Amino acid sequence: MSLLEAPGTQPAVEAADLATEALDLGYDGTRVVHALDLRLPPGRVTAIVGPNGCGKSTLLGALARVHGPQGGAVLLDGRDLATLRPRDAARRIGLLPQQADAPDGLTIRDLVRYGRHPHQGLLRQWSPEDAAAVHRALTAADLLELADRPLDTLSGGQRQRAWIAMVVAQETAVVLLDEPTSALDLGHQLEVLDLVHDLAAQGRTVVLVLHDLSTACRHADHLVAMCEGRVVAEGPPADVVTPGLVRELYGVESVVLRDPTSGTPVVCPVRRVGTR
Amino acid sequence: MTAAAARPAPPRPAAPPAPPGTWRLAHRDRSLLVDRRAATAAAVLAVLVAATVAVGLALGTASVPLNRTLPAAFGVGEARDVLLVQQLRLPRIAAGLAVGAALGVSGVLLQTLARNRLATPDTVGLNDGATAFATASVVAVSTSITPSAFALVGSATAAALALGLAGGAGRRGYRFLVVGLGVGAALGAVTQLMLARAPIDEANQAFPWSVGSLNSRSATSVTVLAVGLAVALPVAVVLGRRLRLLRLADAVVTGLGSRVARVRLAVIGTAVVTAGLAVATAGPLGLVALLAPEIARKAAGPRVVPVVGAALAGALVVLLADLLGRTVAAPLELPAGLVTAVVGGPYLLWLLLTTRTRRMP
Repeated sequence: MSLLEAPGTQPAVEAADLATEALDLGYDGTRVVHALDLRLPPGRVTAIVGPNGCGKSTLLGALARVHGPQGGAVLLDGRDLATLRPRDAARRIGLLPQQADAPDGLTIRDLVRYGRHPHQGLLRQWSPEDAAAVHRALTAADLLELADRPLDTLSGGQRQRAWIAMVVAQETAVVLLDEPTSALDLGHQLEVLDLVHDLAAQGRTVVLVLHDLSTACRHADHLVAMCEGRVVAEGPPADVVTPGLVRELYGVESVVLRDPTSGTPVVCPVRRVGTR
Repeated sequence: MTAAAARPAPPRPAAPPAPPGTWRLAHRDRSLLVDRRAATAAAVLAVLVAATVAVGLALGTASVPLNRTLPAAFGVGEARDVLLVQQLRLPRIAAGLAVGAALGVSGVLLQTLARNRLATPDTVGLNDGATAFATASVVAVSTSITPSAFALVGSATAAALALGLAGGAGRRGYRFLVVGLGVGAALGAVTQLMLARAPIDEANQAFPWSVGSLNSRSATSVTVLAVGLAVALPVAVVLGRRLRLLRLADAVVTGLGSRVARVRLAVIGTAVVTAGLAVATAGPLGLVALLAPEIARKAAGPRVVPVVGAALAGALVVLLADLLGRTVAAPLELPAGLVTAVVGGPYLLWLLLTTRTRRMP
């Protein structure tokens, strides 16, 4: 049976251990992240939360080699990420940054095919594995029927799913998504987050940067709360999220309730207290 | 019989379906994808170029019937035909082909890199640098080094100045483009200064480099250009595949394992070489590098960066401009650069006035 006859076949994903060691990040003299030691649980969904400008996106970018560390290192299975060839690293770690845009006229399938780039070469432009991976990614994102539609004719949720499908087609052990649900309505948010759950269920390590604390609690196994470039709390959402943390992160007094369906924390802001 | 020989070879997976709109050429583990629309577009452009070459060889102050042109190009037929076609017109048309192709390639590479249709070797200063140095080699410095070498050094100098002042190619090459604009203006002024101060004979000799014409090419510069193109075109085709990816955001491209900075420098390097050699041969033929990629993109569709298409379209534009220049006002000859400027100017204006804030190209 060929891979193509079984679109649901799970890709073989080896679990990857991604960690940072005394990681310093910054731009032109400004230090954004300070001496960060972090380990991302393999095969789980980790959400990074924190106020604007706390270094969440910078950290995510560093995990995907978009910017190099000013000190310390990102370790993939114990090896310094900077010593890997870019192509090899891209076969293990996939990134969807914020504000991704594509040239006009590309179809969903064209975009998803880009995800195969690290697996391709000058004389290996379309292998059976590529075809199978693109098919699986389109299936996972529920975009098979729309695959040949141009991106600019899609709704925001569909377009976001197409971008995630591109990263899925990369078939990496680590998937990094920067605010994948911002600018989406509730239904489309859930579509995307369900897809995120499926990725983790396949054994991938998923790291999300999320804006909304309650969404993060509901959908992540592991929460990393950052403030001013440091990790202030880390662990399962139910253990970590308290009114004290919300005050520390956002300067907001709040009541933390339990979600009646999932039992995860829900944050109800009361008022600003101006500690920040 | 060894165990290895006894074991049947693992079945090779069946050939995967090629993505829509492509042909897959495969041999064992190797595979190439050819975009159907881009390949068809290139074929059509090639036919148009061939037709223009044929007409260009036949027409002129003294025309040769088309059926006698082709034999004459190979030295067969009446002595008069052979002289006109093979000795006088063929070298000029060969030069036009090469110059147009080089400018087209340079243009499509820079436009895609900058995601901006206005980014061409004319606008980022490469042509101005080449022109200034080529002019200097004629009017100011007395040397036996050919204008080709000087023009190449000139366009490289312009690029190096722009890169140095901009602090690298930068994000999406924007800074490079803006600084290049300034460097180009400065070098253009240097050219004017040299022409103004030079003795009239030398200024006349250097004049072609300020308009762009196929009339005054030197045989050496055409040869150098041909050799340069033979190297640069395959490089550009490979870079074109990389550039498809670079049309996405830098962070996406890095995440997909491409070395953005390295590709960007290679692209600028190739654009410098092609533009420099073209200018050395025919001077700064205005707007060819703007028009050619535009024609190629329209024809080849959004999936690809049409390097071959732009080369062919560039050749077509230059050959048509030269043909028009030779025939419209005959026996007076208009420089091809004047024709491209007359045709391209309004187009540039239209582009500036209608460009929406959309992702380009």
